Amino acid sequence: MLRVLTLFLGLLLAVPAFAQSSLYDALAEQTAGLKKPSSKTIETVISSLQDSGAPGVADFLTKLQSKEVWYRKSDDKFFFVATDDKKTYRLIDIQSGEVVAEVAKKEIKQIKPNSGVRAKIDGALVAFRLTDADPAVRDAALVGISRDPKAKDLAPLSAALASETDPDLKARMERLSRVLTVSFGDTTEARVAAIASFDGDLGLDARAVLNPLVTTTLKAAPEVGAGENVAKTLRLGNDISEEDAFDLLVASGLAQAEPTKGDIKAALKANIIGDTVGGMNVANLGTDEARLAAHMALAASGAVPAILTSEDKAALLASAAYYEVYAEADPAVTAAAVEALSSISTAVGVSQFIDLVLDGISLASIYFLAAIGLAITFGVMRVINMAHGEFIMMGAYTGYVVQQIIPNYTVSLIVAIPAAFVITFAAGVAMERLVIRHLYHRPLETLLATFGISIALQQIAKNIFGTQARPLTSPGWLDGALVFNDVIAISWIRIAIFVLAVIFFLGLLFVLNRTRLGLETRAVTQNPRMAAAMGINPDRINMLTFGLGSGIAGIAGIAIGLFAKVTSELGSDYIVQSFMTVVVGGVGNIFGTLAGATMIGFLQKGIEWFNPSNTLAAQTYMIIFIIIFIQFRPRGIIALKGRAAGD
Amino acid sequence: MNGLLTKFLLKNPSVLVFLGALALFTAFVSVGSEAFGWGFISTSFVKTLGKTLCFCLIAIAMDLVWGYCGILSLGHFAFFGLGGYMLGMWLMYARTEIIVQTAMSNEVIPPTDQEVIDAIGTQIFGVVGGSDFPMIWAFAHLFWVQLALVVLVPGILALVFGWLAFRSRVTGVYLSILTQAMTLALSLYLFQNDSGLRGNNGLSGLQNLPGLDDVSQDIVSMWFFWASAFALGLSYLLVKLITESKLGNIVRGIRDDEARVRFLGYNVEGYKLFVFVLTAIIAGIAGALYYPQAGIINPAEIAPIASIYLAVWVAIGGRGRIYGAVIGAAFVSLLSTWFTGGQAPDIPLGIYTIKWVDWWLVLLGLSFVIVTLYFPKGIGGLFDRLVRKGDA
Repeated sequence: MLRVLTLFLGLLLAVPAFAQSSLYDALAEQTAGLKKPSSKTIETVISSLQDSGAPGVADFLTKLQSKEVWYRKSDDKFFFVATDDKKTYRLIDIQSGEVVAEVAKKEIKQIKPNSGVRAKIDGALVAFRLTDADPAVRDAALVGISRDPKAKDLAPLSAALASETDPDLKARMERLSRVLTVSFGDTTEARVAAIASFDGDLGLDARAVLNPLVTTTLKAAPEVGAGENVAKTLRLGNDISEEDAFDLLVASGLAQAEPTKGDIKAALKANIIGDTVGGMNVANLGTDEARLAAHMALAASGAVPAILTSEDKAALLASAAYYEVYAEADPAVTAAAVEALSSISTAVGVSQFIDLVLDGISLASIYFLAAIGLAITFGVMRVINMAHGEFIMMGAYTGYVVQQIIPNYTVSLIVAIPAAFVITFAAGVAMERLVIRHLYHRPLETLLATFGISIALQQIAKNIFGTQARPLTSPGWLDGALVFNDVIAISWIRIAIFVLAVIFFLGLLFVLNRTRLGLETRAVTQNPRMAAAMGINPDRINMLTFGLGSGIAGIAGIAIGLFAKVTSELGSDYIVQSFMTVVVGGVGNIFGTLAGATMIGFLQKGIEWFNPSNTLAAQTYMIIFIIIFIQFRPRGIIALKGRAAGD
Repeated sequence: MNGLLTKFLLKNPSVLVFLGALALFTAFVSVGSEAFGWGFISTSFVKTLGKTLCFCLIAIAMDLVWGYCGILSLGHFAFFGLGGYMLGMWLMYARTEIIVQTAMSNEVIPPTDQEVIDAIGTQIFGVVGGSDFPMIWAFAHLFWVQLALVVLVPGILALVFGWLAFRSRVTGVYLSILTQAMTLALSLYLFQNDSGLRGNNGLSGLQNLPGLDDVSQDIVSMWFFWASAFALGLSYLLVKLITESKLGNIVRGIRDDEARVRFLGYNVEGYKLFVFVLTAIIAGIAGALYYPQAGIINPAEIAPIASIYLAVWVAIGGRGRIYGAVIGAAFVSLLSTWFTGGQAPDIPLGIYTIKWVDWWLVLLGLSFVIVTLYFPKGIGGLFDRLVRKGDA
């Protein structure tokens, strides 16, 4: 028993003693080099410490670098030192971090590595962090290097690459080492090879490292300097205008700046004598020619510097060579970079096109959602409902109100969708019963009456919810985006809207073509009297159909509210586009609406692509295009034919 | 010609009644104005009345195109706005030019022409971060050209749009939606800062006539009031001449049964185009008269909703009778000014106070539904009923 206890105690003592001795031993071997570090000797010190594999070496080196390591004169032991009053100094154990003693300053000495040594330590530290046992530290080191790449990071990175075990980190290290090789590789061949490895690569880091290689500066000099990596020589008058060339000459100090019109005016103003300047009456100086003449007269008298004559200017311009020069001196590298960038730009173009298509699809599904309710009320029933947009708005506000009651966004969304449907369905039925029913034979007046309802509803919403936008927050799982690469990304909300649009499309197709309600709806819209004679109640069908269209608008409102702010004008922003979608697609069928939404969505994104800063212009041109399109297909993309067309 | 007009007036005494009433109203406002009378009508109210007359003018145009020809255009306010922009460009340019020249005349060295133009450009386009004149301002310094453009720009736009639309037989609600799209496109375009018309800042300071700074607004407002009244009277006469002629019968025929008129051998598209372009021109003139009284024009005024309000006025006034349009426009727009101006007394209901500023649009919207449902002939229909009773 006693032996067991002694053994246990012995173990307790032995374990820390062993660990401690490790770092201490490692340091003790290099005491001389550490006490007076020089940039020549520090490398052997560091590598010996590194080889010892002792824990805490990286920490020790960090502290050494920041001049926090001292040694005790009596026994040459190293400590971290802290002080509050500069009188008593606390010695901190380099391993445990505990205060072991308090001493006066004369007993200890600070190690002050110079900048050369510190740089060496810095390089070594990178290697330490990159090979640290903790993956999080290695990750942080990689991020640090990629944020601020330096030439000295390359060697430790290559070394660490060999021993890295985590496949994800290894891939990143490998990529980062290629990025660094592009800028800092030792040989031209290595750099060219690294550059070539980025052919067609979509990463932002690749473009960030390659682009500076091919940036050029415009230069004017009597002749092209030796060793300059010229990208292009510019011919005066063809590649560079005389004005720009002259500005370049001025900038490179080869010519004096010409006075601008403003300068001439100021010079004249400064030299007015009585009411003349340069022998000309001030009142006559209302033209540029007169001012120039006066300035020349002043120059002749020496009051102002002369302006170059056009011959002098031409001679001056001809005397210099104009060329673009690469910042990178090695022609082989720049040639490889140009090639790699051109292949990258092709790949980026392809990706951007795919991204554009995705954007188009997502916009199309938004338009489709906004218009699908109309496709039923306007498209199938031929009732023009200007208040459709307000049903969308009502749906969005329903979502907002439900969120105020149920704080959990996911649950509230699940509750809000049927709630919005029920509320707008009821509103639609009420509107059909009270107003539209009386106006089936007067379509233009339906437009006006529903417009009256639209402004009333909009104002009521404004009175209740105020004019400021209300947020409809999407649940957490819809945050963020699905990222394919650095160019292609699509937010989850948009994917959800796309899915919703598909569900609506299929659902409505099913309802209209495969259910009793759909059959009766189609019968009533084609021939109400005949339908009535067959025992269908047209009033009831019209009411239900209108309610269905309105209810769908309500659900669309929630979808739209998720990415746009909910305001009382939410609906009216979409109403014209919705009608366009239905009309362009072809009135009377769901496929038409799909085609219309697709066309309008893609068209708008396509036009925006040419002029990305200006969505207003894109909308304008799109509408003009639609107006022209309707000239050629007045009945839309998918026109109903025969009896189904109705008229 | 004179004889023909007399004959027409004798046949249509209602025209005389209208013109007489308009003349009386104008005379009443004149003697009530601050500039030329006792001053019991304030200058700002004279402006409101003048603007109302412009609304009546565009309402006549709307009645002709919708009430008589059956084209529910939701784009006539775009023509109205374009007319205003065209005259506004000259007003703004000429006034800025005078200001700039006055400012520059103090300088020792006289400015060059280019310097003056640059300074005007900076003044006008500074708000949208520019200073160069866009192409469309090429004639802004020429009053007569801009005046012609007031008629030409809306006219040509209506001609092109109408030709495209009527040619492909777009009718009914489809045409309405198409005109609305045109209006939306135009207003979106004008909302851009680089549209050359100062984006959403629009044109401002239009109430000041260039070179007439010493004439007070009291007098200027009366000038525009008279001009508006004159234009209204003249247009009323013109539109009545059209509707009471054979042309008017064909146009009404197109409204009632387009196909039948076409089968009778008439060129339906031509007639529709004529009415569409004519009314666009009237709308442009109305806009050119309106905006100097309003003082400012911006793209929001052209937004599709304005054109729908126009249809509302005509519907409430009563379609197919020109005076109905006038009554509707005057009645609704004045009432709207009264309610939204905060002059209508609030109604306290204990827990909730009805503020008319907030609830007027609700009232308007609902009254609109009621008029469409129960009084399809509008206020004008009430007159008809009275007249018929008188006859019996």
